[in-house]
Amino acid sequence: MREMKLFLGPQHPGMHGNASVHMYVEGDIIKRSFLLPGMLHRGFEKGMERHSWMNNISLIPRVCVVEPDINELAFAMGAEKLLGLEIPERAQWIRMIIMELARLSIHLMAYGGIGGPTGNYTLMYHAHADRNEILDIFEQITGMRVYHQYIVIGGVRKDLPEGIEKDIHKFLDSLESRYDEYRDLGIDNPSIIKRIKDTIMLPEEVVWELGVTGIGMRSSVNKPYDVRKVMPYCRYDQVEFEVPVSDYSDARSRIDCKLKEILQSISIIRQCLVKIPEGPVRVPISRGQSMRWVIPKGYVYSVVESSRGEFGYFMVSDGGTNPYRVGVRGASYPQGLLGVEKYMPGTRIDDAPLWIDTMGVCSPEIDR
Amino acid sequence: MTNSMTNVEFVQNLVKSNVKVLKEHVTDQYQVHFVVEQDKVHFLLNILRNAGWIQLSYLSAVDWPEENKFELVYIVFNWDKPVYVQIRTKIDRENPVMNSILPIYPGCKYYERECHEFFGVKFPGNPDYEKQLILENWDDIPPMRKDFDPEAYSTRKFPQREYSETYIVQSEGKSKIAKMEARTKRAESLRGGKK
Repeated sequence: MREMKLFLGPQHPGMHGNASVHMYVEGDIIKRSFLLPGMLHRGFEKGMERHSWMNNISLIPRVCVVEPDINELAFAMGAEKLLGLEIPERAQWIRMIIMELARLSIHLMAYGGIGGPTGNYTLMYHAHADRNEILDIFEQITGMRVYHQYIVIGGVRKDLPEGIEKDIHKFLDSLESRYDEYRDLGIDNPSIIKRIKDTIMLPEEVVWELGVTGIGMRSSVNKPYDVRKVMPYCRYDQVEFEVPVSDYSDARSRIDCKLKEILQSISIIRQCLVKIPEGPVRVPISRGQSMRWVIPKGYVYSVVESSRGEFGYFMVSDGGTNPYRVGVRGASYPQGLLGVEKYMPGTRIDDAPLWIDTMGVCSPEIDR
Repeated sequence: MTNSMTNVEFVQNLVKSNVKVLKEHVTDQYQVHFVVEQDKVHFLLNILRNAGWIQLSYLSAVDWPEENKFELVYIVFNWDKPVYVQIRTKIDRENPVMNSILPIYPGCKYYERECHEFFGVKFPGNPDYEKQLILENWDDIPPMRKDFDPEAYSTRKFPQREYSETYIVQSEGKSKIAKMEARTKRAESLRGGKK
């Protein structure tokens, strides 16, 4: 059969963000494929060098469009490590609440996203409706819906508004009550189960070869390799949660892990709301002027667990008011670029969007 | 762990017993930095990989134009002994060449490609390192170097346009506003009474 070139994306229901997968297909089997990023490159790393540490707080959330809070936290934690700054206890707990709400929001979006490639759009509408409620909560806390710019160096921008606990509890209860419905609609739905079961396998040796982290890795190696567990940041060592794992990584088991993480996040937020102490939420940075902070010399790599895996900021400061170099380690780098090139060939065309979706490839963080 | 050694101490022993370390820094219990000579990097990464640091987390470069050097950064991680090991080495800036670590960490392929694109560091041993990845038809020095000026580039690439101050109104009588006005006039006249 003749080999044919086929473009998947950037405008395609199965693609997330502005990247495209170039595939050479014979029939409907992919023979060669590679990801073509570059349509969304905004030069963040260069831009950060040209702005002060404070200006960068409004720049970094744009690195990953759907999950901005991980950027804020990784950047803030890195700068605090360089400064040797201890942030207030209440701020740590507020950061955790924000991070877990963000995780819920992105998991709902990603879970709804499999509605695109599998043709199950009802799932997408339900998930996005629930995500909208999280955005409402974010709007109350931070004043913004998508890019919050809430976690800053030295704590968080302002305290939680009064009565927000009630709204959060109300949302968590409603989401938890709909959990079984979500399972029935998605991964236990007989109409799509054939598409997601035993497809897009990710064996353990491939995980180590590519350097995949996050749900992709945990669903394959059967160990709780989660940054929150392995090297707890914030106060993750003071809350109880489990990391869902599996030893058979097909598309279905990865989605299953994702859904189970939703339950864990709900439990973490509930514990945070009980354990959160009173007190200040931000400490001023004593070095430099009030708007032009000076961060001492040094190299640091700060990591947080995003919904797709280990997300890190490599930062170099030369003791000035601007960062000398900031490098972003996008969590979807290995599976998005090398994974598509090496392990997508051999699968069918309609499985390609499932790889992109269940492995959590986020093109904005490849094109940063 | 069997003995009382912390993970950071384990790494320090492992690295120092094999390679001459130029500089060392411990950020916290999860992170340790080593600066080594350029020709020791592969040997050191090999040792770390065999000791369990099997994940390459990050690979990139930092530009130091005053010293006329590029600093390459390799960050590797071990999930069982959670310590980020950051290995840095300085290479010549005029002719930046560093052998690829592809045989040690296959995941480095695209990091090296990106590093070549943004800094111009060459990675012989990596078959694809010269292919373009993100920047399409780039015609300037690699953009992440410190001497690259984005402002000068954009004024050169996108020269300022001159706009004329006069404008022409096409088919005056048939413009949308005239139509709308006529419609309201007619509506008012139909309503009667009002002028």
